[in-house]
Amino acid sequence: METNAIEIHNLTKKFGDFTAVDDISFDVRKGEIFGFLGANGAGKTTAMRILCGLSRPTSGSGTVAGSDIWKEQEKIKKHIGYMSQRFSLYPDLTVRENIRLFGGIYGLRDREIREKTATMLEILGMEDAADKFCSDLPLGWKQKLSFCIAQIHSPQIIFLDEPTGGVDPETRRRFWELIYAQAENGTTIFVTTHYMDEAEYCDRVSIMVDGKIAALDAPSSLKDRFGAASMDEVFRTVAGRAEREDQ
Amino acid sequence: MWKYLLEKEFKQFFRDPGLPKMALAFPVLMMLVFPFAVSMDIRNINLAVVDNCMSTGSARFMEKCTSSGYFRLVDLCHDPDEAMALMDANKVDAVITIMPDFDRQIGTGKGFPAGIKVNTVNGTKGSLGAQYILQCVRLYLSENGTGMQAAAAGIDISEKYYFNPTMDYKLFMIPALIVIAITMITAFLPSLNIVSEKEAGTIEQINVTPVSKTAFIVCKMIPYWVIAFFILTACLIIAWAVFGYVCRGNILWLYLFTVLDIIVMAGLGLLISNYSNNAQQAMFVIWFFAMVFMLMSGIFTPIASMPDWAQAITYVNPMRYYADAMRAIFLKGSTPVDLWYDAAGLAVLGTIAVTAAISSYRKSE
Repeated sequence: METNAIEIHNLTKKFGDFTAVDDISFDVRKGEIFGFLGANGAGKTTAMRILCGLSRPTSGSGTVAGSDIWKEQEKIKKHIGYMSQRFSLYPDLTVRENIRLFGGIYGLRDREIREKTATMLEILGMEDAADKFCSDLPLGWKQKLSFCIAQIHSPQIIFLDEPTGGVDPETRRRFWELIYAQAENGTTIFVTTHYMDEAEYCDRVSIMVDGKIAALDAPSSLKDRFGAASMDEVFRTVAGRAEREDQ
Repeated sequence: MWKYLLEKEFKQFFRDPGLPKMALAFPVLMMLVFPFAVSMDIRNINLAVVDNCMSTGSARFMEKCTSSGYFRLVDLCHDPDEAMALMDANKVDAVITIMPDFDRQIGTGKGFPAGIKVNTVNGTKGSLGAQYILQCVRLYLSENGTGMQAAAAGIDISEKYYFNPTMDYKLFMIPALIVIAITMITAFLPSLNIVSEKEAGTIEQINVTPVSKTAFIVCKMIPYWVIAFFILTACLIIAWAVFGYVCRGNILWLYLFTVLDIIVMAGLGLLISNYSNNAQQAMFVIWFFAMVFMLMSGIFTPIASMPDWAQAITYVNPMRYYADAMRAIFLKGSTPVDLWYDAAGLAVLGTIAVTAAISSYRKSE
């Protein structure tokens, strides 16, 4: 059995003259929490969109959940969950209806959806808000709901694109508890973040600079290598070499 | 999967603050307001008469004109300048000047001693107005004239109007208004809906799921198709209940052509949404197509009287075929066999639009 959830070789994505992702290669092991760091505009989201089958690479190869990123985009989509930077559940549907919609889309049966909905609402502590429209939820709740919906079909890998942006520290902590719980079930977590304390929670992190991966290792090894006390320092040392303008 | 997507679309449709109301208001407006507003029947032509004769003959002629129902006598002027001033001020549309020797000339049968001036700023109104006046003249002469005029009037052109014997413009416009309503609903609303999902970012969440693009798009369009058939049915019922108009042909054929039109419009709507990133862009393209479709469809002006190059453009206008078919079925009772030409036009355009739309729709960039 393969041990890698994601294998990427020489991945490049160009938009016209601009090389957003420049020849990157890395592997993500099954069941690990993989932090994907980088300054704004370093190419994180672009790379992640390719892995999720939302975008096609210009060149390079790779597999996600055992399926080819060129030929089997639709197959990949069955086995991954994705939570984007922006809240992208339907604001004019209620919490319950959103869960039902995405459950249905991933091929769950009505009975399974009902069970999932019940457990999900309980984990989130949102039983009372189940029939509220998503547009009326506070941001922290929205993010937690998005995360739960991203794993409704028990995917092998979950992609989280800055899941805790704009969320208060307490909610962020709870959010990471959800991530840990999911990782313990053997799900691979691929997460981008700007919070370096969150980077410490990851099993391994990569730091992207100007479309390239400048560093990739466990947080403790990185700290040792750069002689830094925290990930924050590591990040500033590595990302400080960036030549690209911050967007 | 389809069930859940459909459920979502219908819920969103009925929760929208405007859409359900619009679906109800559309047929009502279309049937009860627009037929009167877009009517090209020319009535109430403002008329001024300069009567230099002041005889019973001239009075009878004037009465002939006003009793026709087309004219409204605004003023009796004493001299031509006064009448001309009224026309300049846009108070009158036509001036009839009756010569002093009106009675005598009619009596001797030498001619018709009256001048007619018509304001043709509005060409349709002007030319129809002139026609109506000439009709009155003919009528007057046939009753009062002698000699030559009587003979001239004797060449009576007998007209018989088929299919719409009373030349009722409302009857002519009703199928066309249905055509406009259905085109708007089935092409442009779904396309705006898809673009707004793009703007909100929700389409991305759908694109990372294994949902097939056909399922997503078809489910998006189904509610609008339902609305389209609702509007068609409601319009037919209102036309019958309020105006007493009944479709001459088989109502099924109306629905058949509507299905054909819907296919073309679905393709077009999707094409627009594929190439628009925000609602503003989409609106602009929609507005462009809506204008071209309506003005070049033969709905308001006959295609046969357009210049050749404009006629050529109408061949790629789906509304041309759809409107023609709907009118023919409604007014003449035509069948698809008579209208194979329209059916073929819609089928060809539909195939092109749908193929182009599906091949340009991407779940990934």
